[in-house]
Amino acid sequence: MSGSIEVRGLSRTFHTTVRRPGFLGGVRSLVNPERVAKEAVCDISFDVAPGELLALLGPNGAGKSTTIKMLTGILTPTAGEARVAGVVPYEERERNARNIGAVFGQRTQLWWDLPVRESFSILRDIYEVPKAEHAARLKEFDELLALSSFWDTRVRHLSLGQRVRSDMAAALLHDPPVVFLDEPTIGMDVVVKEQVREFLRHQVEERGRTVLLTTHDMTEVERLAERVVLINHGRLVLDGTLDEIRRKFGSTWQVRATLADPHTPVEPLPGITLLRREGPQVVFGPDGPTAPTVHQALKQVIERYEVTDIALDEAELEDVMRAAYVQSEVRVEDRAGGA
Amino acid sequence: MSLNALRIIWRVTRLNFRAQLEYRSEFLMMIAIGAIWQVSVIVFATVLLSRFTGMGGWDSSDVLLIPATRMLAHALFVLFLGRMHGVGRHIQEGRIDTYLVRPMPVHRQVQLEFFPTNAIGDMTVAVGLMVGALSRSQLDWTAGRITYLIACLIGGMLLEAAMFTVVASASLRFPAADYWSRWLEELLGTFGSYPLNVLPRAVGGFLTFGLPLAFVAYFPAAVLTGHGDSTGVPYWLAAASPLLGALAYLGARLLWRWSLGHYTGVNG
Repeated sequence: MSGSIEVRGLSRTFHTTVRRPGFLGGVRSLVNPERVAKEAVCDISFDVAPGELLALLGPNGAGKSTTIKMLTGILTPTAGEARVAGVVPYEERERNARNIGAVFGQRTQLWWDLPVRESFSILRDIYEVPKAEHAARLKEFDELLALSSFWDTRVRHLSLGQRVRSDMAAALLHDPPVVFLDEPTIGMDVVVKEQVREFLRHQVEERGRTVLLTTHDMTEVERLAERVVLINHGRLVLDGTLDEIRRKFGSTWQVRATLADPHTPVEPLPGITLLRREGPQVVFGPDGPTAPTVHQALKQVIERYEVTDIALDEAELEDVMRAAYVQSEVRVEDRAGGA
Repeated sequence: MSLNALRIIWRVTRLNFRAQLEYRSEFLMMIAIGAIWQVSVIVFATVLLSRFTGMGGWDSSDVLLIPATRMLAHALFVLFLGRMHGVGRHIQEGRIDTYLVRPMPVHRQVQLEFFPTNAIGDMTVAVGLMVGALSRSQLDWTAGRITYLIACLIGGMLLEAAMFTVVASASLRFPAADYWSRWLEELLGTFGSYPLNVLPRAVGGFLTFGLPLAFVAYFPAAVLTGHGDSTGVPYWLAAASPLLGALAYLGARLLWRWSLGHYTGVNG
């Protein structure tokens, strides 16, 4: 089964009541409520290829969770269309549920009062997984997530890390081609985070699962995702690879080189500008929208000049994303001003 | 419902029950709470039998059939379909979201969330009351009457489930609506034991056509004890109580399904 995700013009509007300020305002709102429409997601389109891990990023309230809820069949969009592994999730909820696994970092899908292993076996029955297949998959997950050390413990007694690892296994026990992860590692310590990342990498690279991940952890994005979709105020701001995003928003890299001959004349290179020079020490930075990535710049500097030492300062992905968020805010404000 | 679905229901119920058993004191306390909750019905029955010879033109032994039917239908509701009370909390905690990504009806998952230990207390009191009511009854309990009583108990269970399912459906859109389930439970417990003809006409009318409490136990008991012609509604309507319970439940489940389709969730 193809594990692709196709999203076309997906929108979701919520209607809420605005409370007027003050006591009298409150009474007025009660008698004559003012209804406003809030576009949580607006005309979003993107694709995720089978076996691809896509990070869906954006600041709080950007519309990431609403998008995931529509793709998992929890919410029905107000416009647009989505297909997950060939199924329209909000039209065929139960059929879609058989094709997907979902982990919501802040809530569990396990039975609170039962030992983890009992929850796993109930899920085996619900998804009608053959016993031998279930046992083999559980063994594989145990090797990757060290589940057996706590799987006889009731869910209510698990630590957060143990609980999320159990949820991760529970979401994949029926071998779904598509997996949705909504902030799966939130609040976890670095050791468990790394274990979960390793597990996810294994699921994508070895098992070919399609993964849609939302997270605020940029280390996670860097380690796992090749492609990123950035949304803000419910609108798609950017869809590209990490390199493209760095090129577009990560304009803070610097290449520092020590020239073998301190008298060598230095000129700008394509897309690279000379920021400063102190004797043999020269510092290059990106120049304009056609600037190369930091690695390409490094290559160009080495090829053009004879250097005895070279170092680079690359903007952290977190800084890049912050720049992307800020620029997208400006764009939204411009649009609102224009309107 | 498929055989596999029944197997899963049985398995989860068994596991949930076993899980409750492991917390011994909590388990016993919940049973006691279930029984104590019905104290008002026990007091009513005791006062009725010791102080009055009848009520609203009914003999005490006939009146006793009303709280007994109502209690047993309620105990069955708590045991089989009673988890609809917690839907508002499930929504706030996002549990409905996790139910929606499993290939199983959400309603069934709500019912299988935990084992209702308090139902054992409810059931103990209800069975005791029904045994007491039947032993004092002057009626000839033919197979037809017993069958009708069983149908009424199932109908009463379904009618109560229908009322709580309607509130739960409203909770899917307005989580605060869950508070109405407390009011509903209070009202059913307060007025469920009386022949409604002793209440003011407007109240009786409301408890018949507004909140259909009369169809849970009053009308069935009236039909069984020969008071079916003096209930204020046509005899056929009172006699059709079990059928109305089933229809109301069917309608409530359709409303639940529709409401799930319009579920908006919380926290984006």
